[in-house]
Amino acid sequence: MSENTTQQTQTASTDDRSPTDDRSPTDDRSPTTTAGETVEQTREEWTEYEFRGETKMAVEDLDVHYGDDHALKGVSMEIPEKSVTALIGPSGCGKSTYLRCLNRMNDRVSSARIDGSVTLDGEEIYQDGVNLVELRKRVGMVFQSPNPFPKSIRENIAYGPKKHGDLDTGLLARLLNRSDADERDELVERCLRDAALWDEVSDRLDDNALGLSGGQQQRLCIARCLSVDPEVILMDEPASALDPIATAKIEDLIDDLSEHYTVVIVTHNMQQAARISDQTAVFLTGGELVEYGDTDQVFEDPHSERVEDYITGKFG
Amino acid sequence: MAGASEADAQLVEPNTTETDAVAGVAVGLSAVLFALAVAAMFERVSLTGSLFGVQTVTLLGGLLTALGVAVIAFGAGSRLGYVKTTPDPSAGLIAGIGAAVPWVVVGGAVASQTLGLGTTVGAVAGIATGGVAFALTVLPREDLGSTLPLGSLLALTGLVFLTGVIGPTWVWELGWAQQAAITAEFLIPVATLFTTLYGGWASAKAYGGFGARGRHMGAYVLVYLNALSIVAFLFILVAFVVVQGIPGLLNGAEIGLGTGPQTTILGISVTLPVSVPFVMNGVALFNDFQGVLPAIVGTVWLVAGAVALAVPLGVGAAVFLTEYADRGRFTQVVEVATNGLWSTPSIVFGLFGFAFLIPRFGNGKSLLSGMITLGFMLLPLVVITSREAMLSVPDEYRDASAALGVSKWQTIRSVVLPAALPGVVTGVILGVGRIAGETAPILLTMAGGTFVPGSQTVDVIGGFQFTASPPFVANPALLEATSALPYQLYALISAGVGASSNVGNADEFRWATALVLLIVVLSFYAIGIATRYYFRRRLTHT
Ligand SMILES: Nc1ncnc2c1ncn2[C@@H]1O[C@H](COP(=O)(O)OP(=O)(O)O)[C@@H](O)[C@H]1O
Ligand SMILES: [Mg+2]
Repeated sequence: MSENTTQQTQTASTDDRSPTDDRSPTDDRSPTTTAGETVEQTREEWTEYEFRGETKMAVEDLDVHYGDDHALKGVSMEIPEKSVTALIGPSGCGKSTYLRCLNRMNDRVSSARIDGSVTLDGEEIYQDGVNLVELRKRVGMVFQSPNPFPKSIRENIAYGPKKHGDLDTGLLARLLNRSDADERDELVERCLRDAALWDEVSDRLDDNALGLSGGQQQRLCIARCLSVDPEVILMDEPASALDPIATAKIEDLIDDLSEHYTVVIVTHNMQQAARISDQTAVFLTGGELVEYGDTDQVFEDPHSERVEDYITGKFG
Repeated sequence: MAGASEADAQLVEPNTTETDAVAGVAVGLSAVLFALAVAAMFERVSLTGSLFGVQTVTLLGGLLTALGVAVIAFGAGSRLGYVKTTPDPSAGLIAGIGAAVPWVVVGGAVASQTLGLGTTVGAVAGIATGGVAFALTVLPREDLGSTLPLGSLLALTGLVFLTGVIGPTWVWELGWAQQAAITAEFLIPVATLFTTLYGGWASAKAYGGFGARGRHMGAYVLVYLNALSIVAFLFILVAFVVVQGIPGLLNGAEIGLGTGPQTTILGISVTLPVSVPFVMNGVALFNDFQGVLPAIVGTVWLVAGAVALAVPLGVGAAVFLTEYADRGRFTQVVEVATNGLWSTPSIVFGLFGFAFLIPRFGNGKSLLSGMITLGFMLLPLVVITSREAMLSVPDEYRDASAALGVSKWQTIRSVVLPAALPGVVTGVILGVGRIAGETAPILLTMAGGTFVPGSQTVDVIGGFQFTASPPFVANPALLEATSALPYQLYALISAGVGASSNVGNADEFRWATALVLLIVVLSFYAIGIATRYYFRRRLTHT
């Protein structure tokens, strides 16, 4: 990039920056890292986000190491209830790691070490005696690539409740006339409707889920996640493997879901984050949470210069 | 590029022309010759007899000569411009080496044997001939190079057969201490087979008009003939056993109401409408027709017992190794040990059973010892293939299940195992194929006599008895010595002629036993494949 343009963007950005934002005086040309990021000191107030409503999850001083690799550094943020929180940042900055801490999926990575505190409705989830089954029922997850089980659509949705003993459609139950088949079918229909998939698959619930298109599979995974009646839904780049039409459907769906659920979504698509989220957290290289706040504020008037550079596409 | 040269290949090939048809016929001719040669090799076509009213050798020779002439004619026609092709400048080194090898053999054999010039001259002559063939292949343009040396080889071989230089009674004494000799019965089919492969290759190249397309066709035909010959070998092997075994198997067989023996199915006594004494009788003095029923039942129970022992143990071990144990030294050691166990010779397993199991089960050979021995033999393969199958179940399934709060064991049971089952079944199929035909371990651990009376047919289900004292169940049938088909076959063959009067025609009896063994093993295969198909369908169609 030529010197000229750098100069211009910087001038422009200085203009619309709020007067309270005092940057270092010798800021004509900030030093940059090899990745093109400007070096600056993260300020605590950039990640303080005041919101009305209840706090669903609160993360305090979260540090994650994979072996010697320090993947998340002292992250603190509060996630408001029944809203969409977007996590953005360049790849490898720890978004997925952060997300997996919220339902303790990182426990499954043997090299991971987690320090700090995460609370769900005020209860610490990193303490002895936490029931992982209960936690993951309350905090569901949707993965980057659609991963339905190689079973029928119906069985995919009934899987979780069945394993938790909430539904019994086994042979014995049928013999004893205690089968919950009707309940199951109601549940399947409700979850598929909530995931905006019912109209497309209602006549082939017994077909294998692997026969669905990618976008349908991802919505099926969302429906499967809804089946255990979660309070929080974590989504890790749920639309990154999908075409634009399927992506649009997922985005609409997320909007609907936020009425009843607390949605936390990782995305590398900034337009998507701006479109669907209420608040946005920006992670930058090194596993730092640099800025967290109302989505409009973060995208239109970021405090951090690096966040601004990232959002305007200077690196990432 | 308006004036593109005429030698450029056309985008759309014109419709089949007469020349294409000739080349196509040549390819077909080589396929026919190939089939004839395979049939002759397995004595399905007699070399001394005749086919379609022509002496077999003469027919083979004539066809070979015709094929050779056609190949040469095509090459020459292409070189002189009568046939439109797109040849490369040279046929290439590989084709050169391919053409040189048979010519080395021909040149060497003719010089040293036919002309009697001795080994040294023979070697020199062979190399010289091969060199000429190589040069003739590599140096001229591809159309000539890939047809002339091979076509001449075909024509020469054909003429040798036609003129009777090598006839059906020809023998070449090698003059070794072992009295080895190469007979016409061996040489003619083999020579035909090889030269035909070359002929098919050359004519396929010609059919494709040489060049890249021609090479593609050549490779295609070679691969096809190869695959066909594998199928043919298998088919001929099975057909051979069937043809030899059918007379013995159907000895005294009858179809009709009330002809068969009485059996009890679900408490109802029925008389089977077919009677095949060979598979329904044992051996007894007053039997009209003797049979191998005890051995069949023994084999079936043996395999069932071994599978029942090995599959739960093996799958359990694989679950532990893939899902619970950390990957490290320990799993590596177990991996090496299982691989080693799988390659352990079966006689070693047999000795283990003989020395360790037999003294513990009543000091006599027994069905149970055989089951356990074969179960241990099967175990490593089940572990290896189940582990492989479970490792290939995507981690996404496990993550998805864990994210729903489902416990590890439930995930394994409801997601990992169903997805791995087809692979597990594949392993069991392969393993059963091996153990069902094992002779050595059975010989040491469970086999009874050579001719087994019908009274020794094991009745495992009916053998269960309940006892008042622990362990509350007893099954004497499991502790009796019994026979199994592979062992019985071995015993029949090694018993020699003296004992054969027992069973009438001993040769028929043996072949029929072999046929029954084949049928039993193939039935296990069929069951396995059907099971795998079922599980696979459940994964993809539900
Ligand atoms: N399972 C793991 N084992 C070891 N290191 C990991 C693992 N998962 C992620 N990391 C490391 O942690 C850092 C953050 O990764 P991740 O959270 O996946 O980033 P993002 O989702 O933002 O792209 C990266 O440096 C990555 O190499
Ligand atoms: Mg990620």
